[in-house]
Amino acid sequence: MKYKGLLWFGLLLPQWADAHLVSTRFGEFYAGILHPVTTLEHMVPWLAIGLLGGLQSLKLGRLALILFPLTVLIGVWFGADWGGEIGWVKTLNLLSFLIFGVLVLMAKPLNEVLFIGLITLFGITHGIGNSASDLVGNQFMLYVAGVVTAAYLMMTLLVAASHQLIQQQLWGAVAVRALGSWIAAVGLIYAGFTYFAAAV
Amino acid sequence: MKIVKTNIYRVIAVPLLFVSVSNSVFAHTETGVAGGLISGFLHPIFGLDHLIAMVAVGLWGAQLNKPALWLLPITFPVVMALGALAGIAGVKLSGIEIGIGLSALVLGAMVLLSVRPPLWLAVIMVGTFAVFHGYAHGAELPEAANPLAYGVGFVVSTGMLHLLGILLGVLTRWPIGRQAVQGMGGLIAALGLYFSAASLGFIA
Repeated sequence: MKYKGLLWFGLLLPQWADAHLVSTRFGEFYAGILHPVTTLEHMVPWLAIGLLGGLQSLKLGRLALILFPLTVLIGVWFGADWGGEIGWVKTLNLLSFLIFGVLVLMAKPLNEVLFIGLITLFGITHGIGNSASDLVGNQFMLYVAGVVTAAYLMMTLLVAASHQLIQQQLWGAVAVRALGSWIAAVGLIYAGFTYFAAAV
Repeated sequence: MKIVKTNIYRVIAVPLLFVSVSNSVFAHTETGVAGGLISGFLHPIFGLDHLIAMVAVGLWGAQLNKPALWLLPITFPVVMALGALAGIAGVKLSGIEIGIGLSALVLGAMVLLSVRPPLWLAVIMVGTFAVFHGYAHGAELPEAANPLAYGVGFVVSTGMLHLLGILLGVLTRWPIGRQAVQGMGGLIAALGLYFSAASLGFIA
């Protein structure tokens, strides 16, 4: 009985109105962040790229944190001019499942030039895949900033997690390689669906 | 008397409150990403023939120890994906259900008898059986609402079932645990025999 007043007070509390559209103010920034992390075509290969970064030397791992978001930025920018994801870019993005999945599965440190080349190439293609040609002015800038932020955050978290797992846990390398095998398997299945199912 | 009345009210009020809570409707069928991902994830779990074979891979890997412990669960999804490709491409492959049943029977028997073949042979056995499981999934893939999400779902689910097998296989560190794991192998083999017999038409 002592808390009856408190209960009534709680019931009388109003709900949030949420009256404003998410597309105003920073809305497109959030759209940019969410696009790659909610699209499996990007999220899964990015996961593999992050894991691969953790398998490299500290120097290369750190380089990936900067290089990948930078190349994604270039891709998103050019992609908007080209009108979005084009055929060969889609194919390369599809191949990235397999390439990075197999590289993580093999769990071998890569040659510096090869690693930088792969990150650059697929950063640009995934940037193009995330581009949005229908946004103009400030909204486009916000969207680009969102995609690049997502790329940076994902790389930072994944490279760090992968590196720590491998260095600190006995089972870490096995877990990372197993994830690589899953990603390679998904890539095989998705590539098969994209090219075989259309032909059947 | 007053105290008794208060208690009765409380006793009645709580069930009444729960009865008055409405359920979610779930009026919409699964579509899009959720449908593909969830149905792909649940397929190996709700398909008992898939489930027992995939757990058996983990159990056998744990019995064989390193490097089979990680090599078998890594081989299975990759080769399974190749089987899925055959299913997607519409390659005619007969005896898929028999192959899946046999996979549980043979892998269960390996665990039951604690068989230790050379590593290459274990990998070939697991890889061969993975083709049948992959084909069954792949054949359904083009019908999925979101094929990529469906593929991600069943690959992750397969990996988790291997992990479950490996975790159960930790029991092999203790003498009684080794017997328990062999017992699980026996159960899997018995179920595999049932599925094999059913797919051959011996059981209705």
